Amino acid sequence: MIKASFRFLLNIKQCWPLYLMVLPGITFFIIFKFIPIGGSIIAFQNYSIFKGITDSPWVGFNNFKLLLDSPDFYRVFTNTLLLGLLKVAIIFPVPIVLALLINEVRFVLLKKGVQTALYIPHFMSWVIISGITFDIFSLNGIFNTVLDWFGFEPSLVMQQEKYFRWIYVLTGIWRDAGWGTIVYLAAISSMDPGIYESALVDGASRFKQMIKITLPLLLPTVVVLFLLDIGNFLELGFDQVFNLLTPMTYSVGDIIDTYVYRTGIQEARYSFATAVGLFQAIIGFVLVLIFNRLSKKVSDEGLW
Amino acid sequence: MLNRKKLLTLILAGVMMVGLVTGCGSNNENSQPSSTTNSANGSANPSSEKLVDLNVWWTNIGFKGIDKDSPLYKSYTDLLGVGVVSPYVEWNGGTDYLNTLNMKIAAGEMPNVFMPWNGNEAELAKNGAITDLTELLPKYAPNLWKLIPEDVWNVVKANDPTGQGKIYWIPSVTSYEKTTGLIRQDWLDKLNLQMPKTQEEYVNVLKQFKEKDPNGNGKADEIPTGGRENARWMDHLYNQYGVAMLEGNPEWDLYNGELTYSAVSPNMKDALAFIHQLYQQKLLDQETFLNDKAAWDGKIDSNVVGNYYHWGQTTWMHLSNIEQATGAKADFSVLPILQAPGYEGKGFITTKQVGNPAWVVSSQQDEEHLMTSLKFLNGIADQSKWSDLYLGVEGMHYKLVDGKKTVLPEDKSTQQNRLNPYDQFGTIEFQEDLLNQSATPDNQWQYDQSIKNMKDLQQYVKVIAGDGMPSSVYENYPDIKNHKLWQEYATKIIIGTYPIDKFDEFVDKWNKSGGEAVTKQAREWYAKVGK
Repeated sequence: MIKASFRFLLNIKQCWPLYLMVLPGITFFIIFKFIPIGGSIIAFQNYSIFKGITDSPWVGFNNFKLLLDSPDFYRVFTNTLLLGLLKVAIIFPVPIVLALLINEVRFVLLKKGVQTALYIPHFMSWVIISGITFDIFSLNGIFNTVLDWFGFEPSLVMQQEKYFRWIYVLTGIWRDAGWGTIVYLAAISSMDPGIYESALVDGASRFKQMIKITLPLLLPTVVVLFLLDIGNFLELGFDQVFNLLTPMTYSVGDIIDTYVYRTGIQEARYSFATAVGLFQAIIGFVLVLIFNRLSKKVSDEGLW
Repeated sequence: MLNRKKLLTLILAGVMMVGLVTGCGSNNENSQPSSTTNSANGSANPSSEKLVDLNVWWTNIGFKGIDKDSPLYKSYTDLLGVGVVSPYVEWNGGTDYLNTLNMKIAAGEMPNVFMPWNGNEAELAKNGAITDLTELLPKYAPNLWKLIPEDVWNVVKANDPTGQGKIYWIPSVTSYEKTTGLIRQDWLDKLNLQMPKTQEEYVNVLKQFKEKDPNGNGKADEIPTGGRENARWMDHLYNQYGVAMLEGNPEWDLYNGELTYSAVSPNMKDALAFIHQLYQQKLLDQETFLNDKAAWDGKIDSNVVGNYYHWGQTTWMHLSNIEQATGAKADFSVLPILQAPGYEGKGFITTKQVGNPAWVVSSQQDEEHLMTSLKFLNGIADQSKWSDLYLGVEGMHYKLVDGKKTVLPEDKSTQQNRLNPYDQFGTIEFQEDLLNQSATPDNQWQYDQSIKNMKDLQQYVKVIAGDGMPSSVYENYPDIKNHKLWQEYATKIIIGTYPIDKFDEFVDKWNKSGGEAVTKQAREWYAKVGK
């Protein structure tokens, strides 16, 4: 042990510029992530902002019990799981496909143009995107105008629960899929051109190269991003869902985040909101552990 | 043993997980009463009467805030002797206002005087965060003490969340009701129709509005009637069944002799079945539940809406907008309470004498600011100042034409948000004066209509049994208080996603998810106030 710590100090001395560079990052995490974790303690209190953490009464697991007993909880939780599944199953793979497609564009100018066009929606806030969505599907919007051309009855999509989940998926893809390609494209560009050259010599078509070389080489990146994503499984993006929601779609769109917002933030029940947040985080953490174990078993790739 | 690189990744992954929790986690250990420091830098005025600045929050539906030394700030120092500073806070139906307010309170920056919202005054009072005004008001704010009737004060005392009969907030007082159904009289005249008295006649009128192109633009763009998202602001369709509704939210009244949430009464079921029919026949705006305030007002202002529900006294706003947009001189009249088939009782426009709490005073301030807060309340309760408060600043809110003060058209991009005690505590006579003052020869007809409508609607008004009920009856059931379940079922039944039979399921669900407990508390309150 003595030897190990000595080696560590020696390592610092030798590579001090690297340690210096990582210092701001670590400081950030300590100040803005680790220290605030202490505040989670109010999940076990009946926290009052006027009494503070020290004087607020302790209530044990009462807030968690309240959550599990709440009549809405089952519905809210199911909605969250379903939307989370859709997110992983449909939204997650889109950037991979997009990246593979963009990679095949030969014209550099066209490639850059397509990339930029796909990034742009990412910089719009959900308020704007949901406003556009509501407009598109309004009675005078594009959607119903086109329906009208073909002689169909107009349909107010935004107030029908059967469409809500697909709206969620589509807007999610439209906004963020382009942005998601960045990491994949970076990984692809760092692949060894020698492999492609030898494949070319062996007579592999471009499609074969994509399937047999690019995709397998991309897999480790996919796995890491997938594992990071699964930790946020229940984090569906409050902004997106909240802005697209109407009372008519509550039954399919009311998720943990919107529930916390209504009951926790609006009603200033901070302890309760924190308890729900903790609950969400624990599920995320368990999911990461499980999938990491699975991934290591199957592909020998993992976060650690 | 894990090597260092992997250890780091593990830590990072862990950090990301817990990052989720930290949203509202951390807080300073003890909120210091620092509310006064941000606004209380005082003025450099060394005169005997020192001017003290207060941070004051109330409804602002989009006007500019009041910065220190801005025109309205100066006007208020003259009028009230108090420096009123009021930052712009997004209103959004009260939702955003409440969030921002809660955040400021949590950060220990409570405004000195503010309007509480959605019942948050109860929690504040219990925690001693707002001042007990019982002794202070008669002594330091006599105007206000006298302005509000004694029986209203008694209701406030009975509703004290700490149960000690203290006064913690200033209630708004409604001596006359403001909301009503309004219908295009000029369209009726054009189509040779009588003002509808029964539901049958009303439905016929709506049909004619839809088919006969009363706005004369050659397009079938008329929207006979409608409302806004969350099934709000269409009370005229409910109130013919005796459903107590206030601005589109179900209220508490006597059904079968007991205090009941009107949304679970059988009357509501009939009303929803009727509104569903209107929706099916496209007589109700198909986009009703997607209309926010701006969208619905926009439709009314573009001369296509035949019948809507809102304040009678502000009819002039729509009239002037319609004239500007289309040149048409519209005529809105009060829609009588209709006789609904199969309903024996008499419908009514819901009113509550004891309105929502209008003001509370922070207890987290020093003596000087507390006294200034009371001076502020006393000032705005002085009716001789209301005219000037309404007029605002010369050049911004009004101009002098031939020596007469004339109100300028509303412009949210340049005008600062005015205090409105005349809306919070005012009488119908005072409102009439204000409206007359605002008129110019050109638009006198618009104000005449406003005054006529404001007076006409009073014959249909009934004070409901739930008048003065405190929000504490909803404790621990926020979704009941927010009418969430009702909004979901009502909207779905109206657009036809659910059949009307689902209403019974709603009543059952509402009771199980806390409605039963809330009803019990509401009835206990009702028995206690002994009406």
